Amino acid sequence: MMILLLVLPLLSALLMLLWPRIAPLLALFSAAASSLLALQLLLQVAEQGTRYWLLAGWPSGLAIAWQADTLSCLLILLSTVLQLLVGLYAFATRSRDKLSQGFWPLSTLLQLSLTALWLSRDLFNLYVCLELLGLVAVALVSLSGRKAIKPAFNYLLLSLFGSLCYLLGVVLLYGAYGLLDIAGLASQWQAGWLSNSALLLMSLGLMLKAAIWPLHAWLPAAHAAAPAPVSALLSALVVKGPLFILCLLWLQLASTSQAQAMAPLFAAAGLAALLFGGWSALRTPFAKNLVAYSTVAQLGYATLALGLMLTFDQPLIFAALWLFVLAHALAKAACFLAIGEMSATLGGKRLTILKGASQTMPLAMFAFAVAGGSLIGLPPSGGFLAKWALLQGLWLQGEQLFWPLALVFATLLSAAYVFRVVVLAFDRADPVAPDFAPQLVPQWLALLPALAVWAMALFSEPLLLLLRLEAL
Amino acid sequence: MSPFWLSYLPLAIILSSLLPGLIIFTLKEQQVKLRISLNLLGVTVKLILVLIMWQAVKAGDIFYFSVPFLPGADLVLQGDALSLLFVVLSSVLWLATTIYAIGYLENSPLRSRFFGYFSLCVSATVGLALSGNLVSFLLFYELLTLATFPLVVHRGTPQSLAAGRRYLAYTLGGGLLLLTGVALLHSLVQSPQFVPGGYVSAVVSEHSGLLQLAFGLMIAGLGVKAALLPLHGWLPQAMVAPAPVSALLHAVAVVKAGAFGIIRLVYDVFGVESMQLLQLAEPLMLLAAATILYGSWRALAQQDIKRRLAYSTISQVSYITVGVAMLGPLAAVGGLVHLVHQGVMKITLFFCAGNYAETLGVHKINELNGAGRRMPLTSVAFTLGALGMIGIPPTAGFISKWYLGLGAVASDNQLMLLVFVFSGLLNAAYFLPIIYRLWFLPQRGSWPDEQRLSARLETHWMLLLPMLFTALLIILMGLFASTGISPLSWAELIVEREFSYD
Repeated sequence: MMILLLVLPLLSALLMLLWPRIAPLLALFSAAASSLLALQLLLQVAEQGTRYWLLAGWPSGLAIAWQADTLSCLLILLSTVLQLLVGLYAFATRSRDKLSQGFWPLSTLLQLSLTALWLSRDLFNLYVCLELLGLVAVALVSLSGRKAIKPAFNYLLLSLFGSLCYLLGVVLLYGAYGLLDIAGLASQWQAGWLSNSALLLMSLGLMLKAAIWPLHAWLPAAHAAAPAPVSALLSALVVKGPLFILCLLWLQLASTSQAQAMAPLFAAAGLAALLFGGWSALRTPFAKNLVAYSTVAQLGYATLALGLMLTFDQPLIFAALWLFVLAHALAKAACFLAIGEMSATLGGKRLTILKGASQTMPLAMFAFAVAGGSLIGLPPSGGFLAKWALLQGLWLQGEQLFWPLALVFATLLSAAYVFRVVVLAFDRADPVAPDFAPQLVPQWLALLPALAVWAMALFSEPLLLLLRLEAL
Repeated sequence: MSPFWLSYLPLAIILSSLLPGLIIFTLKEQQVKLRISLNLLGVTVKLILVLIMWQAVKAGDIFYFSVPFLPGADLVLQGDALSLLFVVLSSVLWLATTIYAIGYLENSPLRSRFFGYFSLCVSATVGLALSGNLVSFLLFYELLTLATFPLVVHRGTPQSLAAGRRYLAYTLGGGLLLLTGVALLHSLVQSPQFVPGGYVSAVVSEHSGLLQLAFGLMIAGLGVKAALLPLHGWLPQAMVAPAPVSALLHAVAVVKAGAFGIIRLVYDVFGVESMQLLQLAEPLMLLAAATILYGSWRALAQQDIKRRLAYSTISQVSYITVGVAMLGPLAAVGGLVHLVHQGVMKITLFFCAGNYAETLGVHKINELNGAGRRMPLTSVAFTLGALGMIGIPPTAGFISKWYLGLGAVASDNQLMLLVFVFSGLLNAAYFLPIIYRLWFLPQRGSWPDEQRLSARLETHWMLLLPMLFTALLIILMGLFASTGISPLSWAELIVEREFSYD
């Protein structure tokens, strides 16, 4: 089943190049089939435990090894489902937005690289996936046409630099240990200047690619320049890839002393991201930049959770980390689709076009508000679940006051930027043209992930349980 | 009736306003009849369901409905005597306010949105009343914030948007403090169901500092909605909302949600004994007493009718908190019954203020001269409400103040008695001049913006009927306080159950 999850997008991407006319259908079909497969795999793994698989029957050490644990399966399911939703949105708006044909094979390749990334547990495999992911993402940003050339080019350079840093770290480790798979490396791991510098190099590259503060400056421009479906994919999924590798490195590979030394830095970076990202989201005059800055801020939660996880080694905090990622992916996809839909229909990029949007486009605005509720962390959304797990994890460590307070402050900031949009939408609308008729289907598609993030509450107990077990 | 059906009763009570609300959102502006019928259908169904539950709870049943949510904290709906007090209040006043709002908003734009959020707001209030543990309470508390915000900004003017922003800043901040407090308490003792006598007593000696911190955080969070002293700033500003919204916000939904939360927290989470051990009651009581005096004092200086009423709300809601914080059974009866009495009286006053504004264009107190002649029914209702607020027999307000006073004597709180007397004087000082102007001063020139909304009556019948109904309730609740169906007897029943847990 794992192999099918990889082969299906690869095959359909190739077919699309041969037969561009049916590309949208192929892409949607592959995403839908992959979603079903991913769901089945998740159920199987949750029941029978982690599954391993060696490509083409080579012995371990030589073969490309794949590992599907519950976290990987959840992430695969998330990526395929979002791929499907975003694909449907792109299909529904294709004639209006004049989306380039290139979107279809590229988005399918994106799915392939993400799936492979979630399944790999080998530093070099991860590098290959990361590189593919970066290139596909840059190509997707450049689909917007000439205005996106500059941000796309910057993105390309930074992405290549990041991959290079990561590769350098991998080479150092390979030279010293002659091994590349993470479990094997971890068993022979020695803390020293070599492993220190390798870890730091790899982290630098990954943090750059994951837009973790202070290396986030490229993200708002790139995400805001891309077409709406692409921004949704980039914000929801692509930045999570490097974050996943970063977590693997520090949680599985690094020794305790190394982890302890790095933990405060991660926590501080996360807090800074929350504050500066939130502040920039409050200040920016453009709608899509607001959402993009919110991504920077929300990634701060994940980084903060990683830092706290390294300090306290508390499974609940680990669960919180991935709950943040899941909730943020769904919510952010909804936000970008809703904002994209509103700016396409109402015409314009500035936030002020949203004045009175609760009357002119109630459905899309509702989608944004519902997704925003999860970004803030209102109960019973996915964002609330993550925050609850983090708070519980912190309180369990005894008298912690600083971090809960910091979380409260960050939440207030996120509430401020979400409601900055919502308040504007409740202003009286300017009169609209008599033939004003917003499309309904894309608005519903924007609403779906927003509702899904609130539906996470229904599965809160199994989710928390699965993710906590994963940390042990 | 099968027990299977009964276990879904709390859920059905919430859905009876939620579902019509959601359908109303999808309606077109012109579908007036359908919208009104949906609203009234929801109200009727809710009242019938509440009646069924009331009978059963009176006989000693308790309803539970739970869905798994967080580890150690399911989503629980619980119908017990205390929750029913609030449920009955909000359902009955929802009926009155719905009719009033239909009349008030006739022919104004965006009514589907308004009534949609209106129903959502009532669902959240009822959910809050029925929630069976802190986590469920938190959920509905936040939902209430979200549902009321669009009502506050309904007019879409810059002024109302500013008020809306301020309202959000306060309530979301409060919600967060509550969340942190709940999370802290959850990490100490999980979040079991509310139970008379509380559930923290096992860890009082071990974690007293953390418990005090959690209590402080939660009171700060609840205090925002209950408009306790430093956190009351949103309330007078939120007056820019349409009159039915102010009525609902003040009498039922928002401020009462805070006060109700405080009652739950004191009696069913911490319990009287732990409150005494942790020495939490005294500061809460002093804070509430300060709020009572401060609210009355500021009310004196207001010249706008609705603003004066707003400051009066700040003061009156804290009576509930004081009654609860005195920790004695008699004071508790006073506080609990004031939850209902204050609601009915304040909603009447707001209906009246809305009628003056809608019919005569009067917003300021000094424009009210002689209004008693032009609008006798409204003025009678206003007079009743005002006399009730002051606490003059035989109105409902007298009953609650009587029990609060008795409670203060019983728990040996001379200071509180003094606060009650002084605040009663202040109440008289800011309400009696209005009554004097209404009845005894001649009209000064023509009304600012008079409209003839009805051929025979002084104003539209839909604006009159709910107001007269609630005004009648003020008298009835006062006169028949000792009978079995009065709020007083229900409050006594609650106190009996809350104080006899051991």
